[in-house]
Amino acid sequence: MSYLVASNIEQALTSLREREGRARVVAGATDLFLEELPAHLIDLTVIPETTLIEEKDGFISIGAAVTHTAAALSPVVCSGAAALAEACSQLGSPQVRNIGTVGGNVVNAAPAADAAVALVALGAGVLLVDTAGGKREEAVENLYAGYNRSVIDSTSEIMLRLIIRVTDREEGSAFIRFASRKALSLPMVNAAARVRVTDGFLQEVRLVAAPAGPAPTRLRQTEEMLYGKTPSEGTWAEVEASAAKEVEVRGSLLRCSEQYRRHLVGILSARVLRKAAERAIESREGESR
Amino acid sequence: MKKQLISFQLNNEQVEILCDPAESLLHVLRVQLGLYGTKEGCSRGECGACTVLFDGRAVNSCLVPAGKVQGHSIRTIEGLSRGENIDYIQEAFVEKGAVQCGFCTPGMVMSAHALLKNNPDPTAVEVRLAISGNLCRCTGYKQIEEAILSAAIKLKEKEEPD
Repeated sequence: MSYLVASNIEQALTSLREREGRARVVAGATDLFLEELPAHLIDLTVIPETTLIEEKDGFISIGAAVTHTAAALSPVVCSGAAALAEACSQLGSPQVRNIGTVGGNVVNAAPAADAAVALVALGAGVLLVDTAGGKREEAVENLYAGYNRSVIDSTSEIMLRLIIRVTDREEGSAFIRFASRKALSLPMVNAAARVRVTDGFLQEVRLVAAPAGPAPTRLRQTEEMLYGKTPSEGTWAEVEASAAKEVEVRGSLLRCSEQYRRHLVGILSARVLRKAAERAIESREGESR
Repeated sequence: MKKQLISFQLNNEQVEILCDPAESLLHVLRVQLGLYGTKEGCSRGECGACTVLFDGRAVNSCLVPAGKVQGHSIRTIEGLSRGENIDYIQEAFVEKGAVQCGFCTPGMVMSAHALLKNNPDPTAVEVRLAISGNLCRCTGYKQIEEAILSAAIKLKEKEEPD
């Protein structure tokens, strides 16, 4: 076993290449001891660009080693990607948020990882580099290869950063979770949404709930049903019924039954959409004042 | 198991140790360095008994691979006392009866320390959030919350540095 704290991306890539599949990239490493240990670890967290949060030309870039605490406290994330700030401030515990990273939350590929659920709702992407010199962008929602299995191969690829289009005027986003305790508790259900409200009508709705399959799951029938509707009590009641109807969930002995989870998906979908729509309306009013 | 030389700051002193980098910081602290103040509870990041400060922020030392501390600063409960004297947060815990079996106490004190360093005048809600990653099965948390609020007042009165 060796542990390399890489000082730049080139060094990390070279080291991955030399170890030929026996080395793995880590950031916060909080899930490391829960799995079988790889032979070699390459730590990305002191590479300067991996810890940066920047906003440029309407996009927020979040370095691969930005912690949940840093993301939750970032004014850029709070205003331009509120759902992510909310997810990052509720995940795990303060101790986990202080060292666990947003990028790791995606690569670890847990089905209901709070930050990942928010990122899918926001339509976020990732920028990856590989040991063969390739560079590519992928949508976070396409990074799931199965339960706890990412498309990203940590033995040959490095996530450089996450990219989120900021919620602009008329847009809002929100995240919500329901668990048996307020900290240190896996969610029974979590949900996130991003919406645009134009002239009083809902547009461009993205609604995500989890756990409902291996990846944070978009509730597409409910999304489509909402186009052109007004943000009103009647609409939220329709969301509750529609989301609960379309979602495919499993019960778990530890967390909750299938029926209860389905019920929660309905309730939380309605709540999170209402909150996102309220923010969209506020952002428009803020602009016109 | 191949060992690696790791140098870091521990309780304000530069140290260099030879250890398995995949060993948890918790085990390195307790077994190799004899710092038994940091407790081992669940060993999977759920109880907070092993909380230490990593560059000033509370983390679960059971989840930190030793290799990760290279070049960073770690502070444990042993690093809080000044000679024979316990520090002001520990003092507040004693005064408010915030210690029963004592197993969660070092972790609680470290979380309190991380809080008060960034936020010397916290509200009760902020205190609860700060210790939300630390489980206590004896006190019911109330006395711990009171102790941390009282430590904040002590901090203000004494203007104690650090």
